[in-house]
Amino acid sequence: MTQRTVVQALEDAAVSTRTGYRFISEGTASEPFFTYSGLERATARYAGALQTLGLKKGDRVALVIPDNQDFVFTFLGALRAGVIPVPIYPPAGLRKLGGYLTNTLHVVRQSGAKVLVTDPDVRRLLGTVQAGAPDLEKVVSIEGLRKSNERLRPVSVGLDDTCFLQFTSGSTSAPKGVEVSHGNIAHNVEAFMKKGLGVQDGVDSGVSWLPLYHDMGLIGFVLGPLYHRNTVSFLPPLLFLKRPLRWLQTISRLRATVSFGPNFAYALCTKRVRDRDLEPLDLSSWRVAGCGAEPIRAANLEAFAEKFAVCGFQRKALLPCYGMAEATLAISFDKRGLRVDPIDGAVLAAEGRAETVADANDARALSVVSCGQAFEGHRVRVFSLEDEESRHPLPDRTVGEIRVQGPSVTTGYFDDPETTAAAFAGGWLKTGDLGYLVDGDIYVCGREKELIIVNGRNYYPQDLEWEASRVRGVRKGNVIAFGTTKPMGDRERVIIAFETGAPAGPEREEMKEGVRRTVRTATGLSIDDVVALEIGVLPKTSSGKLKRGETRVLYERGELFGRTSARQGDPIGLALEVAKSQLGYVKNALRRGGAGVPPATTGSPSGAEPVGRADDAD
Amino acid sequence: MAWTREAVLAAVTKVVEGHAETGTEITEKTELVADLGIDSLGIMEMVADIEDEFGLTIAETELRQVATLGDVVRAIEVRLDRDGELS
Repeated sequence: MTQRTVVQALEDAAVSTRTGYRFISEGTASEPFFTYSGLERATARYAGALQTLGLKKGDRVALVIPDNQDFVFTFLGALRAGVIPVPIYPPAGLRKLGGYLTNTLHVVRQSGAKVLVTDPDVRRLLGTVQAGAPDLEKVVSIEGLRKSNERLRPVSVGLDDTCFLQFTSGSTSAPKGVEVSHGNIAHNVEAFMKKGLGVQDGVDSGVSWLPLYHDMGLIGFVLGPLYHRNTVSFLPPLLFLKRPLRWLQTISRLRATVSFGPNFAYALCTKRVRDRDLEPLDLSSWRVAGCGAEPIRAANLEAFAEKFAVCGFQRKALLPCYGMAEATLAISFDKRGLRVDPIDGAVLAAEGRAETVADANDARALSVVSCGQAFEGHRVRVFSLEDEESRHPLPDRTVGEIRVQGPSVTTGYFDDPETTAAAFAGGWLKTGDLGYLVDGDIYVCGREKELIIVNGRNYYPQDLEWEASRVRGVRKGNVIAFGTTKPMGDRERVIIAFETGAPAGPEREEMKEGVRRTVRTATGLSIDDVVALEIGVLPKTSSGKLKRGETRVLYERGELFGRTSARQGDPIGLALEVAKSQLGYVKNALRRGGAGVPPATTGSPSGAEPVGRADDAD
Repeated sequence: MAWTREAVLAAVTKVVEGHAETGTEITEKTELVADLGIDSLGIMEMVADIEDEFGLTIAETELRQVATLGDVVRAIEVRLDRDGELS
């Protein structure tokens, strides 16, 4: 089929007076439903309103819009005007705004947005943003767009034009905006909707609570279905987090066939849905239950399938996925369902090879989840991290960095040639994920980067360290944050280690409590362990850079406390261990004595941070 | 049934105590995110339990204004008062 822009797809979908988007909200029974025909008319008005604000083709408009309906109309309206939307996540409740405003300001500045659209409530909170962003001419309230009767002045939009900027990866102070073209979207939608999901146009229907400022929610459930005129019902993300049962009830009530969530969403349902609520649920229509955007743990998905089997949930509906924003959205699905490769953890840690074990119940066996084959027209290979030109693909079952080529791979980051150049190696996108291939199937078993992922959210160690440094008595620049899966549970444990001149005793305990409190207040993340150390104990490079990987290894070996100086210990043994710790999950699971389930996939935007090699790997 | 202010405070405190790390002192000044030792998913579960206790929904916009247990109590009082359920 000829590739179409999103704008063309929207105009084509307007023939449909039966399928479209349904917006479910909390606290009201009314569920506004817009057919694609109605959507085409409404978004033309939003487009006209944006043009009246002075926005022209190629200009950027920042969207900080909590409401799903407002967001979708404004986003699609912008596309029709040739304007490039920049979705930004809205402020979460119950949290201090400091870090949020800093990040929002950086995104607005980096994108050069001329206009920011938001709702009146959020607008009050964004007070300082406009002053700090020289290109930002106006902050406008969504109400003006809702009431608009402006006509769309048609704009020609082509496949090579930028569709939107996906800001997800990067720390708070250095966000990176993936530049996604209409051509990228067209190719990726074709791949995941038709080849991946095998959707029937206008027949399959989706339910999604996923945030629309993320690729899985936005491309997977707004844009993909638009190309194929499938009905989608949207729930507010916050409603799902409060009441995960509502996700499943909505699928049951509307007889939906496709719905996705990160690993944590399945674990949350297993934990929170009460037995007495199972009886009325009918999940037999749910033919594709996709799982991506964060490491996949087979045990969590197995537990979900088991619990909801009485509701007609079919285990074969489970669909492990791999992808990232830099590749638009999806790279591969495993259409054969949840398949686990039991490998020998000892061989993996020692030699970087994934060797099958005869007995999956062996204490040394590790279960790695398959994410299936790269979509047609795309290539995935594994290379050594040192292979800067991607010259020598590694053989099957040898672990290295997963790299991708194909029409879904974006050209890089907006207005950031340096970061873009670092994201590619000899024409291949460096995913930053470690894994191996078996007959083309992709197995992910770790991350090269230091990103910490908890409950589907990405946390950069730099951000946590910065917050911790604000606590009195903590030595600035001598704080290290890292994630560890030891002992392994549903999620990573997050550790912060800092140096202080204060002697052991109540003063240190107070500082530790201060660190927990400050970080939790700023980020919402609970720190599992805080470690206070003497001055000079944290490992650093000769140039004074913090060595997070080495700190993690020392912590896991229980050796961080005993050290009195950074130079103590066996440097060669440690270097070897750090190298192996690039397979951190695997190794940790091995230590724990088997039955380990390493995380398998990251299927998202944020999952990927292809640049910025861990600087402690030296 | 009509709620008294004391009863609202007592009911919210009870729910929060049920979610907090044991040994946490709970007062009106307790900050929900910073002081309870539970993660963001745990906080959302607690909010749902508070909603169930009073049979109402705390909207996203209201949640943005809330930091302490006292803030939750006041938000609920406003809602109950509006519905004529506060005595």
